[in-house]
Amino acid sequence: MKLTSLLERARVALLAFLGVVSLAVSMDASAIPVFARQTGFRCVACHVGGEYPQLTSLGRMFKLTGYTLGNANDIFNLTTNADRPPVAVMLQTAKQFYASTNPAAGNGTAPSSSFDLQVVSLFTGGHITDNLGAFVQWTWNKYDGNITSGSQYTQSSGIDNSELRWADRIVTKDSDLIYGVYANNRSTMSDVWNTTENWTSDWIGYFNAGGAQAPTTFLMGAAAQHGEVGTGAYLFKDKTWYAELGVYKSITHGPLSFMTGGATGSGGVPELDPSPYYRFAYNKEWGPHSLEVGIHGMTSYVHNYGPGLTYSDWSGSVSTYRDVGVDAQYQYVLDPHYFSAHFRYTHEDMNNVLGVPNSSGLTPTNPTDTLNEIWADMTYIYRAKYGAMLFYHGATGSNDLGMYGYTTNGSPNWQSWMPSLFWAPVQNVRIGYMYTFYTQMGGTSGPMLNAGGLSAHDFNTSMLYATLIY
Amino acid sequence: MKQISKILTLSAVALALGACSTGLDRSRSLLNPNVSGHTLAQQVCSICHGNIGDAVNGNSVNPTFPILAGQQPDYIVAELQEFHDHHRKDPAAQDMMWGITRDMTPKQMKELAEYFSHQKPLPNPEAAEADPAMVKAGEKIFNEGFLEKAVPPCMACHGSGAEGNGPIPRLAGQHADYLYKQLVAFNDDAQRAEEDEKHHVNSNGDDLERPQGVAMEGIAHGLSDMQKHEVALYLQSLK
Repeated sequence: MKLTSLLERARVALLAFLGVVSLAVSMDASAIPVFARQTGFRCVACHVGGEYPQLTSLGRMFKLTGYTLGNANDIFNLTTNADRPPVAVMLQTAKQFYASTNPAAGNGTAPSSSFDLQVVSLFTGGHITDNLGAFVQWTWNKYDGNITSGSQYTQSSGIDNSELRWADRIVTKDSDLIYGVYANNRSTMSDVWNTTENWTSDWIGYFNAGGAQAPTTFLMGAAAQHGEVGTGAYLFKDKTWYAELGVYKSITHGPLSFMTGGATGSGGVPELDPSPYYRFAYNKEWGPHSLEVGIHGMTSYVHNYGPGLTYSDWSGSVSTYRDVGVDAQYQYVLDPHYFSAHFRYTHEDMNNVLGVPNSSGLTPTNPTDTLNEIWADMTYIYRAKYGAMLFYHGATGSNDLGMYGYTTNGSPNWQSWMPSLFWAPVQNVRIGYMYTFYTQMGGTSGPMLNAGGLSAHDFNTSMLYATLIY
Repeated sequence: MKQISKILTLSAVALALGACSTGLDRSRSLLNPNVSGHTLAQQVCSICHGNIGDAVNGNSVNPTFPILAGQQPDYIVAELQEFHDHHRKDPAAQDMMWGITRDMTPKQMKELAEYFSHQKPLPNPEAAEADPAMVKAGEKIFNEGFLEKAVPPCMACHGSGAEGNGPIPRLAGQHADYLYKQLVAFNDDAQRAEEDEKHHVNSNGDDLERPQGVAMEGIAHGLSDMQKHEVALYLQSLK
């Protein structure tokens, strides 16, 4: 490519980027997404330092009471307030930088030459009746790694995190009880402490490299792909004790199939037989501090892709993934300082069916395997404008050459660190930079023989992004 | 046909869930004027202005949110109206209370004021962490003022126990961080008013964070940053 044409592309991209930012800055700062329109709150009321998706105590209570709090008419009123339409849009512009220029090294799904609008999400939901509310998200990805079509740059669109929730709260002089039921399309969608993969703050790093070489537990990885529908019930007593039980199943047809629309029908989304999910937590709040410690788990019964079978074949053998973990959150919320830290450790016991690929397309060599996944993060935000985050993510487990064949011993072990900085000039806009360092893959920091001699650090990815939510 | 049955089933599910309503006395609607102040206190206010174990007693946990238990009812009504009219503009007011009061009726405001003024204020647990020397210095300002800068004693208006009176708020046991932030807001307003005067601008108080607190402007302006902290810590220690 000629230098002039390269410069021209850079100029166009920069103009687009600045255009998005200046448009956002010039907008009325109170004109913001669905729940903010419904409640009249600013982002910072329900999100730590305005850093969505991390929920404050108020945000947790809003979600647990079914997204119903606020100034919205019941749906049966058949009137809506034109000033507060229950719709919102999120746009994400980004530029990725990969450590290795060789795409075969497993670059992220976005081409390294791109600097463009990569994600569009539409939201709707909120108050339906005094007890019933919804969170509905639809997302278009310009570059989607989930679709295997022979092309690296396939776009996709489909339903994203979506939930319908019915809740009641009974408050008396010495008791405060919230109870409710939900139907959603992702186990851990119901999380209010941001300790699960679904709601951690690295959501922006969609296009990371290294995915295949960085195995995660079924609960935090494959189960979180919106290809399933679950229902559950929960209670939260005295803002202290939380208990939740749910069951998830793949659905391709019937009235609830809209909850998996666009997420199923192609490879990459596992077929799930009814699988139980649970969570128990202790929550304590004092002064500006809050603490949560708890356990989470799911036992997933997943259909394998036998020879000649496709996604819609409800036959074939079933592998079992039993995940059990502990999780914790600490928060300090008092303007101008906002701090949060999260931790989770999930142990997985796998019962593999031999001789056929599992739902990830990998063929295990051991009848049983284990995997221990660890996540930890810290966030500091000043005046809800300037933020710094650090994430750690990794796993250790039993060697299995069939599934983790990029080293000669078949180790799944990997480690990564992700520092991130961002600036929110107004609450609708976030401009940030994040870097993912892989310090170990295939159990080694050195070259992996079956991965073309690449080392963990060859998968390092950094990303400059601007997000607009309106 | 398939689509129609899908729509019918979904509508039936939504209707069934919608019909499972727990009624007006457990509503979290801020739009319905028929929801009582008592219900709003339980279902909405208690989320931030309540205690763990006793959500509705008006004693907040996080200092972002002021303690409302035992507050003067006239002051509560006045502030709710100020939030509703967007006159009170300190950041926390804009973050949350503008939304909460957006469609609030005068009747609801009155009921809320009645409710919270009758709650029993509890000793502030944060008081134990305060530096005793600062609390003592704050006590002196509270009782004697800081005459050097023409700051009158706080007790002259707020009462000897900082219990407040009518539109003058109760301050006893209030979170020190909240009180300090209000003093800073009054101080900033004093500077804004001074600037307006200098440039002969009549802003009608539109550029002030707390235009109703004009009596506090000179007082807050006369106190140093340290003195603001001291008096806030003393007030927090009062029971």
